[in-house]
Amino acid sequence: MHPFSVLTLAIFVAGYITARWDLVTRLYELAVFAWDHGVVARTAKGFAILSLFFFLFIIPVERLASRETDLALSVENALKVGTLFRNSSHPIARIYELCGQPSMHVLGLSNSAHVDVEVLQIHAATGQQLRMPQISCARASTIQITMYERPIPNRMQYISLNPISLALGDKAEMATHAPGSVEAEEEKEERKKQEKTRALVEKLKLHTVAQHPPSHKERALPKIVNQVNCSWELQQILQKNISLVGRRSRRSLSVSERVVESATSMRDFLIMAIWHLITLYIYPVIRRGFIITLLCHRVAAEAFLIVLEWRAKPEYAALKDVSATAQQVEIRLQQFCYWPMQYITLRKRKDDWESITTSHPDYIRFYNSLWLVANDVIIGIALGSYIIDNSTWVAESIGKILSLYSVAALQRTISWLMRWPAGLKLNTELAAFLGDLFLWVIDHWSGLVEALQPYLPHLIWFIGFSSFAGASMPIALFSDLVSILTIHIYSFYMASARIFNWQYTILLSLFQLFRGKKHNVLRKRIDSCDYDLDQLLLGTILFTLLFFLLPTVIVFYLTFACSRMAIISLKAVLDTLLACLNHFPLFALMLRIKDSQRLPGGIRFELKDTQQYSSTNPSSPTPPPTSYIYLKSVPLTFRAMFHQYFQLGHRIRKHYLSPHVLLCLATGKFVPPIHRKNLYSLQYSMLPAQRAGIMEMWNALTTNTSTTKEKKPVYENRGFSGRRFNGHLSGRR
Amino acid sequence: MLTTAPHLRTRRPSPTTVEYTVSTSPTLTLPLRLLLITTIIFRVLIGWSVLLILYSKYLLSNLAAATSTHNVQPETIVSIDYLYYILHLLHTSKPGQFATTLAALTPPTLLIPLSLVLLHILLQRPHTTETLLVLRGLGIQTSSSSASYLSSATTRFIPTEKVQDILVNEAFRGFEVRYYLVVVVEGEDDVVVVFPRLLPRRKVVESVWRGVRGCLWEEGRVGGLSAKGG
Repeated sequence: MHPFSVLTLAIFVAGYITARWDLVTRLYELAVFAWDHGVVARTAKGFAILSLFFFLFIIPVERLASRETDLALSVENALKVGTLFRNSSHPIARIYELCGQPSMHVLGLSNSAHVDVEVLQIHAATGQQLRMPQISCARASTIQITMYERPIPNRMQYISLNPISLALGDKAEMATHAPGSVEAEEEKEERKKQEKTRALVEKLKLHTVAQHPPSHKERALPKIVNQVNCSWELQQILQKNISLVGRRSRRSLSVSERVVESATSMRDFLIMAIWHLITLYIYPVIRRGFIITLLCHRVAAEAFLIVLEWRAKPEYAALKDVSATAQQVEIRLQQFCYWPMQYITLRKRKDDWESITTSHPDYIRFYNSLWLVANDVIIGIALGSYIIDNSTWVAESIGKILSLYSVAALQRTISWLMRWPAGLKLNTELAAFLGDLFLWVIDHWSGLVEALQPYLPHLIWFIGFSSFAGASMPIALFSDLVSILTIHIYSFYMASARIFNWQYTILLSLFQLFRGKKHNVLRKRIDSCDYDLDQLLLGTILFTLLFFLLPTVIVFYLTFACSRMAIISLKAVLDTLLACLNHFPLFALMLRIKDSQRLPGGIRFELKDTQQYSSTNPSSPTPPPTSYIYLKSVPLTFRAMFHQYFQLGHRIRKHYLSPHVLLCLATGKFVPPIHRKNLYSLQYSMLPAQRAGIMEMWNALTTNTSTTKEKKPVYENRGFSGRRFNGHLSGRR
Repeated sequence: MLTTAPHLRTRRPSPTTVEYTVSTSPTLTLPLRLLLITTIIFRVLIGWSVLLILYSKYLLSNLAAATSTHNVQPETIVSIDYLYYILHLLHTSKPGQFATTLAALTPPTLLIPLSLVLLHILLQRPHTTETLLVLRGLGIQTSSSSASYLSSATTRFIPTEKVQDILVNEAFRGFEVRYYLVVVVEGEDDVVVVFPRLLPRRKVVESVWRGVRGCLWEEGRVGGLSAKGG
């Protein structure tokens, strides 16, 4: 204030007081009166209460608000220094790498609308009455909020863009078909079809007028999926370490506190010491012994596998291609070779974050095969004990069925065919000749079967005993037994088909002669030809003769072809049973029912209605247009689970119901059985195409021991800074 | 009356998110709601009666001869025995008796396929709803409600990165030409047809096509025209 004005004011006050002196005395009297009646004390009390209230409530509230702004800064600081990632079990850099971010940051604050921090843009509000979180961002023109439920990695839940593959995807296409065989032709056709579709797809690309180069945001989707998968574990760590934010590290314990602590932890210390002794001296010995037995088994398995896979020439069939039993033994041995490797890869999962989802399909595959083998053995024990207990009865009934269907029924049919069947007048002499021929062979065969009859109970007993190795074993043995005991039908089929085919081709060429034409082999067409008279005469006579003999041959051929088809379908049923026992996706099916989040089949978005939520807070200015989207995981469909089976069914259908096969049947050419390799594509989807060698397994097993000893480095105080995973948001401007 | 011709509904809470819904269900008014509820009740009743007839057929056959009758009320409610008891009560009631006579009259070769077909018809959904959800920066998602109540809707999410193009195509279907929206996905042999079951009219398809192209890609970010495009 100016000194002159102060002087003026002082002169005015002094003048006023002297002019109104009575007012001053009145005031003095009032003060004395108030003092006498305790007004001052009461005022002082009121003032004290008010100031107390101020200190207790108003100042803390203000402090809290400023602290919150401080909190954001200190959390940011803690993220940078790495305090928030203290005591994490694995290096946090792994998660950064997965999520494609160099660090974590604080994006905004939640439930503190009145605090403004310069750097932060996002405010979130959640509450009981708000079903959706309210997000506000000063600089955003539109907001898209994606909400999701965090998948829990401890329960192996995760989301993924692509469906989880239950099959192993490393198989190289094994195309070792002999040229000219049915498989090679089928493959050629398939390849041609694929090329055609590829050309069409290329053509489709030309239709695109404007090309949209993907933006950074669009390319980040796989990273976002990884971030979602990591969110739960990160949240756990941040929650655990949040108490460390903005606080000094604790002082060291005093002497008395140490005494108390050592007294309480004495028991734990003893237990730890004993455990340490066990892990140091006993466990390695057991472990080493176990590894050596595993390797011995592996060497034996390798020897067996070499025997099973041995081929005299590359295009010849190996033992496992011929016999179902050998195939079954091979599958078990291969599985045995693969399990240790698989188990080691699964163990490696423990050395990393749970959020890393690359090994989850391996886990499902491993336990699926283990469970299937266990199931197989359990069913096998039940089946085996039944067969062993009733071996004589089973053997008797099997012998009866065998002699009835493969001998007696066939004999009756052939003798029926020899006597003008169904009123069909066949050529008596030819029918008698053919029938006698087959009957002799059958007689001989039945003698053999009867000689085998006394050994049948032993054989059955052996089959029953083999089923302790799994129910698939007796089924495979039975399948082989069926093919051995029906060899005569197979040979009859071959013989009659050959006769029929000869006659058919001769008839075709004679028919051309009958028409005065001939088949030009060089140009692959029909040419006209001038035959001599004697050629024509003889040819016509032969044609007539053969034509009238054809029905007799057809009848025999049809009989054997039908019985052959019946045997093939019986074996197909047995093979399907084997495929179910060996490769049924039991574990995956159980997971699908128990926790479908463990079998992700893609993601799905759901747009939520927003009208009722945006109008809940009328005081705030109109928020920018906001859309709420739910991100959900789609469980794997059952169809995708049984994809392998569908493929197998498709392949069998294509092989046996193709016009080619029908043509073969009609002309009496040999119908090739489907290659076992095709039939067992299921197996190759569960096991690697190239099994790991013995040395590889040894290395894997021994390096595993050395790393486990120096495990558990504590990752602490690493200078990482990070980006905060905000559970619910991905704000967009 | 319960269904209408396929019509389009659009939800656009923010400029970056659009959902197009094509459905045959009309806007629900009170009488329509009541009608729907009555049809559902009707369906449930018919379904239960078909199941009851099948059950009485099972009881008549010699398959059920071995099972003992459960005509005594068990003490605990939560048990298999109680379920059998309720079934027994149902069987002996008046509708149960009627079902038994009906089941006795029809041969099993006629009854079983007929009831299976009836159950299949009863489980059909009355309406078909198909949606296309466009999220800028994420991708597009097609979804199509299933025909029966037993299965849920099938959805397919295509990330924007994978979307090569979206176009309207035409095809012959019977004696008519249908226009349909197609998403060309990069690296796949087959294109994805949007609204595959309803195949709405050209007007709808065109408006959806315009909306999707405007929403999915940000303006001004369209790259150079490819030289070969026509």
